[in-house]
Amino acid sequence: MTDVTLEAVRKSYGDVDAVEGVDLRVADGEFLVVVGPSGCGKSTTLRLIAGLETATAGTIRMGETDVTGVEPADRNVAMVFQNYALYPHMTARRNITFGTGSSTSFTDAEIEERVREAAEALDITDLLDRKPAALSGGERQRVALGRALVRDPDVFLLDEPLSNLDAKLRIKMRAELAKLHEEFGTTTVYVTHDQTEAMTLGDRVVVMDDGEIQQVAPPQELYDYPATQFVAEFIGDPAMNTLPVVVDRRDGRPVATHAAFSLPLPGTGDTVPEGPAVLGVRPEHLSVANGDGEPAGNPIEATVTVTEPLGDSLLIECRAGDDAFRVEAEPRLGLVSGDTVRVRYDPERLHLFAADTGEALYHSDTGRRRGAATPVDPDPA
Amino acid sequence: MSSVATLPDRLGEYTEQMVAETGGDTRDGLVERLSLHALALGAVLLLVLPVVVAAIVSTKPTGIVTSVADLVPGRSGAANYRRALVGLGFWRFMLNSFVMAAIIVVGKLLVAALAALAIVYYRLPYKNLVFLVVLFTLMLPVPVRFVPLYRLVVELGWNNSFLAITVPYLASATTVFILRQHFRSIPSSLVETAKLDGVGPLRFLVSVLVPMSRGIIVGVSVIMFVYAWNQYLWPLVIIDTEGQQVAQVGLSLLRGQASSGEIAWSMVMTGSILTLLPPLALLVAFRKPLLETFTLQQR
Amino acid sequence: MATREIFENRLQAGLLLFPTMVVSAVFLYYPAIRAVGLSFFQASFGRDDAFVALDNYARLFTSGTYLDSVFVSVLFTAVVVAGVMAFGLCVTFLIHEVELGKSAYLIAAIWPYALPPAVAGLVFLFLFHPTLGLVTSYIEALGVTVDWFTNGPQAFVVVALAAVWKQIGYNVIFMTAAMNNVPDSLTEAANLDGVGRFQRLMRVYVPVMSPTLVFLVVINTIYGFFGTFPMVDLMTKGGPAGATNILIYDLWRTAFQFYDFGFASAKSVVLFVVVGALMYVQFRLSDRYAYYGG
Repeated sequence: MTDVTLEAVRKSYGDVDAVEGVDLRVADGEFLVVVGPSGCGKSTTLRLIAGLETATAGTIRMGETDVTGVEPADRNVAMVFQNYALYPHMTARRNITFGTGSSTSFTDAEIEERVREAAEALDITDLLDRKPAALSGGERQRVALGRALVRDPDVFLLDEPLSNLDAKLRIKMRAELAKLHEEFGTTTVYVTHDQTEAMTLGDRVVVMDDGEIQQVAPPQELYDYPATQFVAEFIGDPAMNTLPVVVDRRDGRPVATHAAFSLPLPGTGDTVPEGPAVLGVRPEHLSVANGDGEPAGNPIEATVTVTEPLGDSLLIECRAGDDAFRVEAEPRLGLVSGDTVRVRYDPERLHLFAADTGEALYHSDTGRRRGAATPVDPDPA
Repeated sequence: MSSVATLPDRLGEYTEQMVAETGGDTRDGLVERLSLHALALGAVLLLVLPVVVAAIVSTKPTGIVTSVADLVPGRSGAANYRRALVGLGFWRFMLNSFVMAAIIVVGKLLVAALAALAIVYYRLPYKNLVFLVVLFTLMLPVPVRFVPLYRLVVELGWNNSFLAITVPYLASATTVFILRQHFRSIPSSLVETAKLDGVGPLRFLVSVLVPMSRGIIVGVSVIMFVYAWNQYLWPLVIIDTEGQQVAQVGLSLLRGQASSGEIAWSMVMTGSILTLLPPLALLVAFRKPLLETFTLQQR
Repeated sequence: MATREIFENRLQAGLLLFPTMVVSAVFLYYPAIRAVGLSFFQASFGRDDAFVALDNYARLFTSGTYLDSVFVSVLFTAVVVAGVMAFGLCVTFLIHEVELGKSAYLIAAIWPYALPPAVAGLVFLFLFHPTLGLVTSYIEALGVTVDWFTNGPQAFVVVALAAVWKQIGYNVIFMTAAMNNVPDSLTEAANLDGVGRFQRLMRVYVPVMSPTLVFLVVINTIYGFFGTFPMVDLMTKGGPAGATNILIYDLWRTAFQFYDFGFASAKSVVLFVVVGALMYVQFRLSDRYAYYGG
């Protein structure tokens, strides 16, 4: 079991940089999730750690050892693929033990014992003598996990292992993975495109886009203090609203002005630069004013365009000026398209992003006023 | 040809029209279907009858068949076959053919599997060039090279030996090609899993590739067996000792004997049927893997 | 980004490729190259090779037998290719259109693939035998005298028939696969347009199947030139008077009956060039006319 460090890692294919400037440290025993849209470089990063790809530049270390040029088989890692990669002509048991002779130094007896333990932990003891064709998707995934477990690797690498499962099974397997991590405590790097999986599983989450790391932080911090507009819009469902505004000063206090409204920004005025910016506020931090004299803070006037009843809430899409945004409101409001509403916001949950770079300029929460968390977090919580 | 894009609309119209006209029955007319069957049957009979006749004649004492009425299986079947095999020594030819074909099939499979393993799973500079060099041999069939090949083989002292009729066949461009295509259809995650485990190349070949290629291996083996079994020109050239000869050329001897009146023509048919049986049996038994392999080869 | 090239040891790769490369080099490339060299010599048993430059090639042009043989070969292959493709296509189409008993018909049509050419030759030799043949008696009932042991054109026809018959099986295998790959929507569209069966075959199926058909033309050409040797050897031995003396047979005779190795090598080289050129022409034509992709 070790920590994994990537320093200035770059992977290029000809002129294209799949991964660039990656600095990352995975702590010993941590469950780190790498998340991002297709093509963001998350799988490439994982494969670089595995040794299936060779870095064009930079170093990769496991513990104290530089493994940048080392063969995958010598790195003591185990990988689980999206399509399970089970040999169709071997039984589950044989699939699990097939590579152990080459990659580990356990005796046959030790391997058998490990297989038994892993099978119990994964609840697949009855399935060991079946071939993959006779197993369901979830069962196959557990066999693939068993194969990884039996290796007793220093690092687990999982490449979108739940993507091929149906929604319900995915949720169940998520819980099982979390349980396994608690039980075995192996350093794990987990890649997914699903931000819900990332948030629920990760000790920390790495958000990547276009080959670069956008932010590395624990899930709550990503939600509360996104370092870039990309992270803000990627994390959280429904996605954060973004509206173009201009920041200027009135009476010495910063105000975000939009064609249809203006919001005073809490906090000291000097940390927020003036000029065009992007205002971010999550739908769940907006609400519909119900008109009885509640202490107001500048409600926003907007017109309802679409309503989506979700049962426990009502997702309203509104228009203010030229821009649309969504509000997560109380479920039984009886609003229809065309209605005018007054939208209220939580002043502690506003964000500003630079219009050109997307970098976070301001978070209104009193905990943190200024921009992004640093990309490399040397002391994970 | 009308655009397929308007198909849904026209299909709808057509169906409505048909339903109105025929009261719901849209199948081809009975007469048309019967004539199709008649034609198909006729064609197939043309393809099958000659051999059926040959088989029947092979059971007769002489080769004299003057009309269709004579086409009743004769009584001499057992006697003829026994005579062909033992009396005329045809069993020798059959055995030689079997040994040759078996060696060629096994040998080619082995050699081609190793080559395909290297071509698909090794990182090698100029690999594509190597593959092309192997493929180009398809342009060099026996007739183009058999004169110098003859001299070479004689110089090696191999004439009249099994070496001469097996070794030159062991490099097979088509087999390498087929195996390569098949290997490339195996998901790369399986291959990468093996790499992560540090599985060695031979173990990978034996424990992963071969079990996953069973259908193809059977199909390719049938193709190679038929090819080897049917070889005529090269054995004719390189083998002149009757005892070492293969069945195909043995037929030529039978024919000679029939023309000179030494044996009846029915014996020639007997030999022919004997020579036909092994590849035919394989074709019938393994037609499914065989057909699968052919479709793979097309690409 | 995923790759199958998981091994890097070049020595191992070399060893794996070694048997194939060695056999290819020694028994395929070397003799082929040597044939070119040998064609410039006069060579036979018991004497040393004597360099004669282009004499052998000059002899080709003055040899009446050879030039006849070229003509016969080209005609023979053309007939065989046309016959096989036409009849094969018809059989394939019939099996495709029939609703019942497809697999039975299919096996019956494919089986000649397993048939040794020698057996095909012998069976036809027997059935059409001028005095003993079963089919002969029926043909003669139509007023035609069957004497192809002495009648050149007749011999040509009989051998061609045997060759076509044998090769249909192989063609049906590929044509069936190709025809089954024609999307059903095209058949339905044709039916909607009121297109008759034959038109549908020629206007819809054939173009869509053209890559396979081109492949088969090439294969059949090679078969016509080389694969028909056993039939000629067993049925007519090149006669009567060279009527079935196809190039490969003539070549064999020059080498292994007259032992004129240098001359035979020159003939091999020419044969290679002729077939190579034919294949090239076929590929180019196919590029222009074949219809790839939906």
